[in-house]
Amino acid sequence: MKNNTFGQYFPGNSLLHRMDPRMKLIVTILYIVMIFCAKNVLSFAFLLLLTVFLILISRISVRIVLRSIRPIIFIVLFTVVFNIFLTGGTGEPLAAFWIFEIYREGIVRAILMALRVIILITGTGVLLTYTTSPIALADAIESLLGPLKKIHVPVHEFAMMMTIALRFIPTLIEETDRIMSALKARGADFSNGSIVKRVKALIPILIPLFVSAFKRAEELAVAMECRCYRGGEGRTKLHVLHYRFSDFVWLFFFVLFLVSVFLINAFSPIKIAY
Amino acid sequence: MKNILELSHVSYLYSEKTPFEMQALHDVSVGFEEGCVTGIIGHTGSGKSTLVQMLNGLLRPSEGQVLLNGEDIWRKPKEITSVRYRVGLVMQYPEYQLFDETVRADIGFAPRNMGLSEKETEERVREAAEFVGLSESLLDKSPFDLSGGQKRRAAIAGVLAMRPEVLVLDEPAAGLDPRGRQEILGRLQEYRRERRASVIFVSHSMEDMAHYCDRLLVLNHGEVLMQGTVSEIFCDAEKIRSAGLFVPQVATVADRLRRAGVPLPEGLCTVESVSRELLSLLGKGGNAQ
Ligand SMILES: Nc1ncnc2c1ncn2[C@@H]1O[C@H](COP(=O)(O)OP(=O)(O)OP(=O)(O)O)[C@@H](O)[C@H]1O
Ligand SMILES: [Mg+2]
Repeated sequence: MKNNTFGQYFPGNSLLHRMDPRMKLIVTILYIVMIFCAKNVLSFAFLLLLTVFLILISRISVRIVLRSIRPIIFIVLFTVVFNIFLTGGTGEPLAAFWIFEIYREGIVRAILMALRVIILITGTGVLLTYTTSPIALADAIESLLGPLKKIHVPVHEFAMMMTIALRFIPTLIEETDRIMSALKARGADFSNGSIVKRVKALIPILIPLFVSAFKRAEELAVAMECRCYRGGEGRTKLHVLHYRFSDFVWLFFFVLFLVSVFLINAFSPIKIAY
Repeated sequence: MKNILELSHVSYLYSEKTPFEMQALHDVSVGFEEGCVTGIIGHTGSGKSTLVQMLNGLLRPSEGQVLLNGEDIWRKPKEITSVRYRVGLVMQYPEYQLFDETVRADIGFAPRNMGLSEKETEERVREAAEFVGLSESLLDKSPFDLSGGQKRRAAIAGVLAMRPEVLVLDEPAAGLDPRGRQEILGRLQEYRRERRASVIFVSHSMEDMAHYCDRLLVLNHGEVLMQGTVSEIFCDAEKIRSAGLFVPQVATVADRLRRAGVPLPEGLCTVESVSRELLSLLGKGGNAQ
């Protein structure tokens, strides 16, 4: 619990940190589209370069970025194994045993698939989660979904709920920590014993946690009313989002990259078929 | 005198090996004498709560050792729970500690964890509740319906029910009325006498410290600034001020009087001792100005 870096936001002042959060959302979407459109070795090489470039300019330590792969390592391995064994090929099989045959195509595909998952996670990580504070993200989503207000979707209310939820996650983690410490001080044991025993040991944590969360929600509601909060109608913002010239440069580059990926897909000789 | 608990060259880093790394304690070496009431003072954020959580193994030092009766408590990490029964810790925010349906069940949490019989648990609960001054009628209420001060008493009772050799309390008197303060702190001294235990507590009130402690430990920015007997510490008013703290007002008064020529001994820091000395001076006929 101690080393939890929830939200994973690392404050900084890199080019990526300074990009408007709305633009970050937009280019992230373009980036994801690119990854799923890439169809051959060359376009993957191009995307890999782009991702490395993004990681470098984010000034987030490479070790931390690579750590984000850890939770999905199982999926990656699974993808690799499946693709190696289940891809048919045209030439001679490189190896064969029992009912399995391994082809050159299978190996290439396995590598590309693993690469796809890895650059997807690390790239969106440095574009969004590591370099954007969760609050700025909620703001950006509210702003981008703004037009939906016309058809009476309560965009502001949803964004407010999201902001509040994000704001209180670290508080809840801290509280959980405190409750656990207080229980451990009286001999509770969360790390030894059978699964059933360990799950049972969690109950004393949940009760005070819920009690304090409800109390906090009530207090927050009162505090908001005291400051005359009445929803989104006519509210102004403390931090008004402004697009800057550099944001459009970023957009231009990402559109350019997307087009290049399409072009490489279309004209490159080395294709892999899905 | 023998040290019941000892920290040797202890450092502690929060969020170690992340960009949010924060050093809360820096090379702290202190001894807590057996059978003493030791007070810990220091400005907000000086590392007091971090230090007391080391004493019963809630936090593990990044560097250095914690010795209980001369033995490293982390020698067998699996058996750290037995250390926690011997060193009882009441945390800074007791409201987070209470969870059970009734106050009675909550105070009985630790004895039940220790594997005591229902009968013995019941006995310990009654004893602990009486000791901290929780009336019998409160025992069957939900802990969430108690007032702040009552919650604090219940939390202390929950730890006393373990009958620890060393009782550690993080700001036990915060949020109590003046009478409740006196009562609880007086109770701590009584506990020490009855059980021959040692008591360590954190407080921001210098008056309380002067009155209830034998020894003091002063922390400043995660380092030990001073340690010694209460009068030794409060004699050095300059150094105390440098840590952003004050000596008890009455110690300042005694100091001024001495400088003005009244023959008071050094190291007086409670109202009782100063008035006793002054009265005896008056009794001798020596008119203090
Ligand atoms: N869970 C944590 N994660 C990171 N840093 C922490 C954590 N808990 C405390 N700190 C930091 O460690 C330092 C010491 O904190 P500590 O709680 O020990 O202070 P304290 O002396 O008990 O203060 P107070 O008088 O306000 O209770 C502080 O600077 C604090 O910001
Ligand atoms: Mg504290």
